[in-house]
Amino acid sequence: MKRKLVSILLATAMVVTLAGCGGSDAPAAEAPAAEAPAAEEPAAEAPAAEAPAAEEPAAEVPAADGELAYSGNISIMHFSTSEESEGNGGSDGFRTCLAQWIGDHANITIDEEVLANDDYKTQIATRAAADDLPDVFLLQGMNTINWAKQGLLYDMTDSINSSPYAANYNMDYLVPFTADGKYYAYPALTGGTCTVVIYDEAMWKEAGFDSFPTTWADVEKAAEYFEGNGIDAIAFGNGGQWQLNSCFVSCLGYQYTGTQWFADIIAGTGSFDTPEFVAALTETQRLFHDTNIFNEDFNAITNEDAREYYISGDAAAFIGGNWDASYIQASLDGDPKYDTTKFAVLPKAADAGKYENFQNIGLGYGMAISAKAAQDPDKLAACIDLCQYLTGTAFSEFVGANYALAGFCGSDVDLSKFDQYTQDFYNFSYVDNKGCEIYDSYVDGSVWSVLNTEMQEMVNGDKDPATVAADTEAAYKAYLGQ
Amino acid sequence: MLKSIKPKKWVVAAYLAVPVALYVFTVFAPLVAALFYSFFEWKGGPVKTFNGLANYTQLIHDEVFWSAFWHNIFLVLVCIIGQIGIAFIVVLLINSKVTKLQGIHRTFGFFPSTISAVCIGFIWQMIYDSKRGLLNYFLEAIGKDDLKKVWLNEPSLVMLLVSIPLIWQFIGYYMVILLSAVSSISTEVLESAEIDGATGIQRARYIVLPLIKNTLLVCITLCVAGNMKAFDNIYVMTAGGPGYSSMVMAMYGYKVSFEQSNLGYGSCISVGIFVLALAVIGGSQILMNYFMTDSYDRNEKKHLKQIEKERKQAIKNRKANA
Repeated sequence: MKRKLVSILLATAMVVTLAGCGGSDAPAAEAPAAEAPAAEEPAAEAPAAEAPAAEEPAAEVPAADGELAYSGNISIMHFSTSEESEGNGGSDGFRTCLAQWIGDHANITIDEEVLANDDYKTQIATRAAADDLPDVFLLQGMNTINWAKQGLLYDMTDSINSSPYAANYNMDYLVPFTADGKYYAYPALTGGTCTVVIYDEAMWKEAGFDSFPTTWADVEKAAEYFEGNGIDAIAFGNGGQWQLNSCFVSCLGYQYTGTQWFADIIAGTGSFDTPEFVAALTETQRLFHDTNIFNEDFNAITNEDAREYYISGDAAAFIGGNWDASYIQASLDGDPKYDTTKFAVLPKAADAGKYENFQNIGLGYGMAISAKAAQDPDKLAACIDLCQYLTGTAFSEFVGANYALAGFCGSDVDLSKFDQYTQDFYNFSYVDNKGCEIYDSYVDGSVWSVLNTEMQEMVNGDKDPATVAADTEAAYKAYLGQ
Repeated sequence: MLKSIKPKKWVVAAYLAVPVALYVFTVFAPLVAALFYSFFEWKGGPVKTFNGLANYTQLIHDEVFWSAFWHNIFLVLVCIIGQIGIAFIVVLLINSKVTKLQGIHRTFGFFPSTISAVCIGFIWQMIYDSKRGLLNYFLEAIGKDDLKKVWLNEPSLVMLLVSIPLIWQFIGYYMVILLSAVSSISTEVLESAEIDGATGIQRARYIVLPLIKNTLLVCITLCVAGNMKAFDNIYVMTAGGPGYSSMVMAMYGYKVSFEQSNLGYGSCISVGIFVLALAVIGGSQILMNYFMTDSYDRNEKKHLKQIEKERKQAIKNRKANA
């Protein structure tokens, strides 16, 4: 009898233990530090630029005003982990404002699920597939049309137009979150460039250029000089396959196509198989395959590795995004190279007919509300209030005052409080250059997956640009025909 | 077994119910779900459109999938030779009378298989690194600078290069399995062969190999199954690149499902992987049985079958006559 009792107890303990391994309705804990830090992906996918905090104390975040009728739980999922927010203006501002909103609404419990960026993308896609999206979440631009079509998203058009902060919104940032003329998210975090040439002014002076060359022909000349000294002219990493699209072609392409071509692609009336786009790919292939401008291992290393070449002096310049600029800033602190590091746009391609000082910038993620959450009017009002607060003046003033960054909502930035590096990068991003779209903030992952993979072969010289354009066009047509 | 300690049937069933339920939930249910979803066009939302066999038609014509399949087959072949072949040699060396500190060899040999595949990927990525990697450093040190390459950007070599870490990782794993099988062979048999003048290679070929045939079959099955679903270290080292040069089936399924949000076709790829893996495992077992049986045994088997046939026929005839 005793043995039976013990057996039953042991079996029960085992079942309970196993059951404990399952999910829970309790709010999920934040991703531990051991989990990979948020992937540094194109601005379309990555959080905004890190920038050093201003020397003055951080600005206070104003209280979230307005009484809400709703009392209960709101689930939210995002990727601003505590590790990510250290020095990263967008993430820090997001977390700070979220904490303030929670504090101001004691009757509402926020079930927060925080994941690293890479995990977030997989998790949110899985939740969307299961029709189990959280009430409020960060929507990636390229998913907008598909998810809106599937009825997963609440239409935010009216709430955005009637928002108390509407007068300060930069409406251009809404384009990636627009489907059939309706807005489906409040652009979140901070706008950062996806393509910036970061160069060491002193090294380029030695090569005979007072600033970064404005034509690729001059870069090629400089590359010969640098090669003689055993270093690369420009470091680049495309090991993850997305970098060449987000941090190079997405910007160089505009020199050939102008802005209308991609507007047509977004609208579903364009084509990748055009002479202009093929010419952009051909020039990309020439620069990477036929010249010695870039490090020869560009296809085998990531942008994280490539920027180390610049930091260590093995390369005179680096091409990456705002997240790389902030990493380099943090790494060079105290180094003489810090003062000689400057920023430039991609040089002009010789046969490009529509060249301007392009840099691709945008807000790749927006705060969206699931269609299910919108079924309860009081809950919906609370969710809208939360989205507006996290992307409104409280957020923009915080990131402007502390990090010299800007978000969806405009605010004045006093640049005099920041050092030269931050000022230069602010001017590069928001003042001096013409913004263009980040390709993979739009359309669909199925199209970019084909382009990114085939471009890796293309720059090795194993595939011709016309084939890459044709295959991308086929993927685009398949997507449009869904 | 004594009746007093023999558990009742319901007790056995109750104990088995938990692992069986877990197995069904974690293995069988996802497989059936994947099969179900593979008949739908499902782009990652609640809307699923039944499209019959369209995904399977696409799969049959999908060049990337079939090139990924051949990459898996390449992995399987290289790993059977590399992992099990080298493990077998290592086992013979460790079991040799002249080898000292056998326990240490066993422990350190097994060590790589305890490291996570992702870490292995990073370690070998550092070895292959073109600027600071050990391989190019070694080539430079021996004056073979002209052989230096950006190793992981060589489409013709990359599959072999991503296989090497897998071989390195699992030699110890198969070594432990084979070691236990070899240890069970009676030393008298081996000593008799030695007295009869059999060399080490002859003893390995004609005594050890046939006696551990069943264990070898298990090892090959594990090796085939493991490499048909290879993913993690290749994902870390090349992400399937350059282009599709190191793309394997599981990674392609992942890419289609999560990068391209095409969960219906991704499910179809999963089913394809399952079916192809079963076919390859079955095929490898048939081949193994054939090669591990020598012509004498095969003739003997045929002869026995013939006798059995004749015996049955005789019984049949007797019954008919009666």
